[in-house]
Amino acid sequence: MKREEILSAIYHCVKCKLCSIVSFHPNEEWLPLCPSGQFYGYQAFYAPGKMEIFREILEGEISEPSEGLLKAVYACTLCGACYEKCKQVSSVEIRLPELFEEMRHELAVKGWALDAHRGIVEKIRETRNAYGERYEYKYRYRYKRGDREGAESPGGDADADVLYYIGCTARYRVPEIADAMLSILNKLGIRYQLMEDEWCCGSVLLRTGQVEAAKELMEHNVEEIRRSGAKRIVFTCPGCLKTFRQNYPDMGVELLHSTEFLARMHIKVDDKLDINVAYHDPCHLGRDLGIYEEPRSLLAEVAHIKQMKREREQAWCCGSGGGVKSAYDDFALWCATERLAEAREAGAEALVSACPFCKRNLREAAEIEGKGAGLGVYDIVELVNRCLKEGGARR
Amino acid sequence: MMTSRGVLSPGVIKELQAIVGEENATDDVAICASYSRDQHWHFVPPRNPACVVRPASKEEVRAVLMLANKEKIPVVPYSTGINVRGLAIPVHDGSILLDLGRMNRILEINPEMKTATVEPGVTFGMLLEQTRKYKLRPAFPDAPLTVSVLVNYYLRGIYQTAAADGHDHTISYEMVLPNGETLRTGSRALSSMPYFRYGVGPDFAGLLSAHPGTCGVVTELTAKLYRLYDHRQEYFIGFESVKDSTRLIYNLMHDELATSIRLVDNQSWLRGICGTFDYPYEELPKFVLCVLVEGLPGLFEAKDKLVRAHIEESGGRVLELPEAFKRRFEEESLGGAELSCMVFHLRGNYHCIGLYGPLTLAARYYELHEHTALEVGIPGDHVYFYLDPIYNFHGQLCYVELDIFYDGSDPRFGEKLREYNRRQFHRLLDAGIYGWFRPYAGIIEPTTERIGYLAEVWKKFLRIVDPNGIMNPGKLF
Repeated sequence: MKREEILSAIYHCVKCKLCSIVSFHPNEEWLPLCPSGQFYGYQAFYAPGKMEIFREILEGEISEPSEGLLKAVYACTLCGACYEKCKQVSSVEIRLPELFEEMRHELAVKGWALDAHRGIVEKIRETRNAYGERYEYKYRYRYKRGDREGAESPGGDADADVLYYIGCTARYRVPEIADAMLSILNKLGIRYQLMEDEWCCGSVLLRTGQVEAAKELMEHNVEEIRRSGAKRIVFTCPGCLKTFRQNYPDMGVELLHSTEFLARMHIKVDDKLDINVAYHDPCHLGRDLGIYEEPRSLLAEVAHIKQMKREREQAWCCGSGGGVKSAYDDFALWCATERLAEAREAGAEALVSACPFCKRNLREAAEIEGKGAGLGVYDIVELVNRCLKEGGARR
Repeated sequence: MMTSRGVLSPGVIKELQAIVGEENATDDVAICASYSRDQHWHFVPPRNPACVVRPASKEEVRAVLMLANKEKIPVVPYSTGINVRGLAIPVHDGSILLDLGRMNRILEINPEMKTATVEPGVTFGMLLEQTRKYKLRPAFPDAPLTVSVLVNYYLRGIYQTAAADGHDHTISYEMVLPNGETLRTGSRALSSMPYFRYGVGPDFAGLLSAHPGTCGVVTELTAKLYRLYDHRQEYFIGFESVKDSTRLIYNLMHDELATSIRLVDNQSWLRGICGTFDYPYEELPKFVLCVLVEGLPGLFEAKDKLVRAHIEESGGRVLELPEAFKRRFEEESLGGAELSCMVFHLRGNYHCIGLYGPLTLAARYYELHEHTALEVGIPGDHVYFYLDPIYNFHGQLCYVELDIFYDGSDPRFGEKLREYNRRQFHRLLDAGIYGWFRPYAGIIEPTTERIGYLAEVWKKFLRIVDPNGIMNPGKLF
């Protein structure tokens, strides 16, 4: 964004702060929408206050990376709820998440990035994944039918049209999501391939303003995908999907979230799980990519959905996005705890998402609450996999 | 545009942190920057406070004020963060911004007394969420329901969405002064019953109110609540001029028939009241009177019948608008302004002059508005208007708003607006008004020139309650 564009956006905010609450009418309930504002309290943590900080950075008034500056800028999950609410009450479109990413870029250029985020660059440089892990994710599934029965399925079929891009978090922090996705593909008899040398997609770097560091990753992945010959890439991570859709060059390949892909399969299950679940909209999937229906229709096939008060465009963020989990874990976990309470209030026995970041943070918060709290945390693909039998049918 | 701020000594910051807790007082430049500007920045330049302090109780407020008074540090009170007209932007370097957002308790809802007692951080949304359980509601301003109840009532700035609520919603309050003393107004001074405004001698609640943080800090306020009825009916009646509509407004007000009566132009507030930009409003008459009737069964039907008779003889055109528009008009009028705030974003910023005056001068106010705007180069399609009459209609009391919605990023437009103000304040005073919506720098100067010795008394009064001049200095005199 050009400086004039940024300042123009800032000058178009009238500071009504309606961006900080869920639509009040017609239910007339006061529900907060901005996690960082709610947690930290100072104006600096709400969108209008952050814009004033950006103005002063651009106008050269803020000339050092104070503790408050770094916190106000980086303790924001970039969830985009403020933007969605602003759109509802305004004819002027202020693209807030883009603006705040731009602010982070501005800080990174000045050398003011957080140590925690700089550390991610280092890890990626060394290991090509955001967690600095040196081992390889190994899918534990063995083929159970066809002429390769009994053989391990580490990389799928090299010439398959479908490529499953696993992503760093599902590889190294919540592998049960990758396991479930691969299991589903196998059960449905869908030929797939995995990337021979999958690198981090660069999302975390872009979201934390470290744009330059992401370029090499993107170039590598583009090259690998072109070489793979895949026609369709499936993601279980909405962050990766968003990055591929919005930041990568057009590779002439269809990019789909797992829920979009599976919704197209018209999966048929014999027995629904006897469980009440709430669906948590991941920010990248919902607000960023507009994917609200597919996860719900898929989930409705396998479980009973209970509705929470804050959903879809006005969903409460789980707290782990925008580099918050790595830098401000207490805040990230508080957001997740709030969400768990909301699910419980809705009468859910489990909170289901469609994003490895969400699952990791929500699960961690649930574990801290203790087993007595009794709320399970899953990704949709895990529940689908549980319901799907070998040789699973499609409707 | 450089933003000033000034600094406070590390010793003062430490003392403030000792009062409110380390995490609730800061001189961090970025945190302070977030309080530097409001929507009125074409008139009040940005200025950072030197520190931001977030008390959680009246005891903490008292301690902060006493420290500031001793050190002669300016204090700018600030409630929920939706500020207009630069009232919470410091005038002086080295100011303390007193963010009262943490004081957000609803202290009492008394359905029997039809009152609510709140702290400054309570918003209209928070309050309605609770009062609706008793089929009661507060009187709403046309400000976002994220604004502070206490501050809006205390500043006497209720440009109401419901004419039936009358004008004064404040019953009594408690104010902490710079010297640490506490003033309690009305019956609150005598007992634990804060339900009567005129408890002791003069109307101190009136005397102290409408000061933009220039006397002390209001820490509790008791306000009136109003009934919610199940039976409702809405009408939209079109007129081609302000003048054509006044007969109907007069009749409805005189007979006390409607709860909400709002004359708006078809390009700005009507969109907000209907809650969407997506409608061919330009095909409607230029002005639309929005009328909401409600009441108990029996009374409601009788009132509705009379309202329809008045509408029929008014010469206005009854508009058939979508049902959803009616629902939103109800919600925005009786449940707090949310979608109607979309008008503030018509072009990205808004300017308005809010005043109280008689219905007899409504057409004249509009004429002046249009004339002055065109004279200074503001295009005609940027000129907007609305009028809310107020019960019991003595003096034909109306709140009138002369609006200009504009692109806030255009500095040349800012210059035009400043010129508009310079001319318009005088012209309106010459035409005759009852008073301004609320006093603020810019509008107060030409006004005090005209009020004779009252201005001196006012200034002396402020020196008594705030002898060191620490309370939001520069916002009035």
